Amino acid sequence: MAEREDLPRQACARFEEDLILYHYQELSDATRHGIETHLEGCAACRLSLEELRSLLPKTIVADDPPAAFWQSYSNDIHERLSVSGNTTGWREVLLSLFRSWPVPVAATAAIFALAITLTLTRGQWWPRETPPPELGEMLSVTDNLEFLKSMDFFDSIDLLEAMEGQEGPKGETSHRAL
Amino acid sequence: MDDRWLQQGEAGRILSLRHNEDPTRAMITSRPAEFGDDELVALAQQGQRQAFESLVERYKHKAYRIAFDFTRDREEAKDLSQEAFLNAFRHLGSFDRRAKFYTWFYRILVNLCIDYRRRKTRIRMESLDERTEQGKGTDGIADPAPSADQQAISRQMSERIGAALAALPAKQRTTFLLKNHEGLSIREIAEVMKAAEGTVKSHLHRAVTALKQRLAELT
Ligand SMILES: [Zn+2]
Repeated sequence: MAEREDLPRQACARFEEDLILYHYQELSDATRHGIETHLEGCAACRLSLEELRSLLPKTIVADDPPAAFWQSYSNDIHERLSVSGNTTGWREVLLSLFRSWPVPVAATAAIFALAITLTLTRGQWWPRETPPPELGEMLSVTDNLEFLKSMDFFDSIDLLEAMEGQEGPKGETSHRAL
Repeated sequence: MDDRWLQQGEAGRILSLRHNEDPTRAMITSRPAEFGDDELVALAQQGQRQAFESLVERYKHKAYRIAFDFTRDREEAKDLSQEAFLNAFRHLGSFDRRAKFYTWFYRILVNLCIDYRRRKTRIRMESLDERTEQGKGTDGIADPAPSADQQAISRQMSERIGAALAALPAKQRTTFLLKNHEGLSIREIAEVMKAAEGTVKSHLHRAVTALKQRLAELT
């Protein structure tokens, strides 16, 4: 109860989101003018905006590694890139075709599963002028599917949020539970 | 002679490599800053690794910073951000050049960061004791009175901010970091997260509101 009194004064509810967007300069001209006019006559919103301006930059806790770190970063990535192949090829071209369609990843995966099956059973589904993929390349189809799946990160993010919810959030919500 | 640009601004951060045999490569190495992302991506897609390394040099600080925001650990941040570059390089062929390279790359990176946190969360969930300890450590806005030692205060502050950010749900945290720390526009964040702009605004609103409550003493 006591901590509630320490909470910052609330801005007008209907301007709350716009104040944040105003702070980040994300409002259209018309909305910006509207909020500026409102700010002239509303102390609570002015205070709220001041709080945003004071608080938000402070949340950036930057790490500043030394120059040697960046040098080793560049060296490492150079090494890692030289042993890592760029997989641009027939698969990626095919992928780029699917990508521009509004086809869910699952459907793409299904098509690829079919393609792999065809590859393994018949070995003749690719265009005649394209050389057949080598074994190593065929194996990396899985890698591509993994990549596509990983790019659909909302699955991942939803799962994370569910896990964090299950875990019992720290701080804030444990107060609420009391 | 390829090292001339080493002293010049952004170009100075580009790794020096000699590829005398190829005029295009020599050009990338000598004047990397003159190439836009699109050109570098196009060259990299044609197999010019040097062009991709220029992209790495251009984005490594930002990539590291984002990864650090999620991990709060220098080595993990280095590893995750490098992994993101490697993934991007391996799959550059599937990058649609109508999109922006960095939003595509940020998506790869953020996904890896989310995945990292998911693994961490799983480990935490497996250890009840540890979880209880962590709760004690990060809870409580009304902590002990400020010490005279300024360094201790700022470290404490930094930990508190870290805890407040970590307590945000993943979508809110991602949105907030990309906006507040990285300065991406709402539109760009929507592209990275493949979400509607309205959804992004709503995540941002919730994140800021939660942070204002948790970090009231900083305002
Ligand atoms: Zn108001």
